[in-house]
Amino acid sequence: MQSVADLKVSTNGRKRLDGKVAIISGGSRGIGDAIVRKFAAEGATVVFTYNKNKESAEKTVKELRGLNAQVECLPCSIQDSKSVQDVIDKTIEKFGRVDILVNNAGIIRDGLFLTMDESAWKDVIDTNVGGTFLFSKAVCEHMVFQKKGRIINMSSVVSKIGSVGQANYVASKGAINAFTKALAAELASKGVTVNAVAPGLVATEMIENVKGLAGDLTKRIPCGRFADPEEVASLIAFLASDDAGYITGQVILIDGGLSLQSRR
Amino acid sequence: MEKTKDQIFQGVRECLVNALGVSENQVSLDSSLVKDLGAESIDFLDVVFRLEKTFGIKIPRGDLFPENLLTNPAFVKDGKITPAGLTELKRKLSHVDFTQFEENPLVSRLSDIFTVKMIVDYLFEKTSVKAKA
Repeated sequence: MQSVADLKVSTNGRKRLDGKVAIISGGSRGIGDAIVRKFAAEGATVVFTYNKNKESAEKTVKELRGLNAQVECLPCSIQDSKSVQDVIDKTIEKFGRVDILVNNAGIIRDGLFLTMDESAWKDVIDTNVGGTFLFSKAVCEHMVFQKKGRIINMSSVVSKIGSVGQANYVASKGAINAFTKALAAELASKGVTVNAVAPGLVATEMIENVKGLAGDLTKRIPCGRFADPEEVASLIAFLASDDAGYITGQVILIDGGLSLQSRR
Repeated sequence: MEKTKDQIFQGVRECLVNALGVSENQVSLDSSLVKDLGAESIDFLDVVFRLEKTFGIKIPRGDLFPENLLTNPAFVKDGKITPAGLTELKRKLSHVDFTQFEENPLVSRLSDIFTVKMIVDYLFEKTSVKAKA
């Protein structure tokens, strides 16, 4: 976890997101929390959403504001179009624009497919794909009007290599990859780029659920370790920056070589 | 207060310049959005967003530029708009003069109807109604 002391300007003392307004869905923990901190450090005004972790979200806001970062958190149910629209409206009302959207919020409800019930399928698809659709839809008009924008979707390495017990999650991430490419093609001429980031195993609370397997999993990663959330956040900050204006429609793996499927 | 057609044209031209990246002198009443100004499918939505903001009106989707018409087999056959399709077009786009298009209703010629004048006429009708209300 990045500490307050780590909240620093990145490459060459240049703040890559200065003056940008970013919305990050699901920013109260894990990779989302790292993205919020990274974006704030890079000079962005950050509005992030939380679902249940109000206390943690508000703590992050207080902490970052103490470092002169402009950060807000808002509750949001990402399956609900009104709730999503409310986040966009409040952001535009307060900051006048949205330059960056990071569709990070997502859930898992793992289980072998033979025992997976319909609600586990629907929940994951509606949250991960539906939430990405709703947020993207809500910001598109503003970004097209601005003739500039960045949408970054959270995918996963499992969308490329599959994963036992995650048919719903893998399907949702595969859909996000395809959606990313389609939307990128539609919006490119309007200066809006759309990309996806597909992390491998990241050292977050979510991965704690499979801690017992961590030893075995590490052996499958050529880099020999899990990713730090900050490493994923850095890639997203790059894609959100002006430096990445010519990258669109890509699903970028950040997996320590896991997708190479070679054993160490 | 009711806007004149010239005032509307000025606003439309500004929207087209911003949406399509063309210069002001490229935009005349007779300009075709596709052939002369290079508009692509998403540009039509962009133009609508900008018109709504500039003129302070709501333009229902499909009202100014028809949607989903060409995917209906009843409206398109052998590369031509069918009589039923023409009726539907006229119903949806009452502000458009189809006289020339009807002579040879090829799908490939449909984009010819989308001219700057068509937008100006639509907005004139729309803003007049709003002003009278």
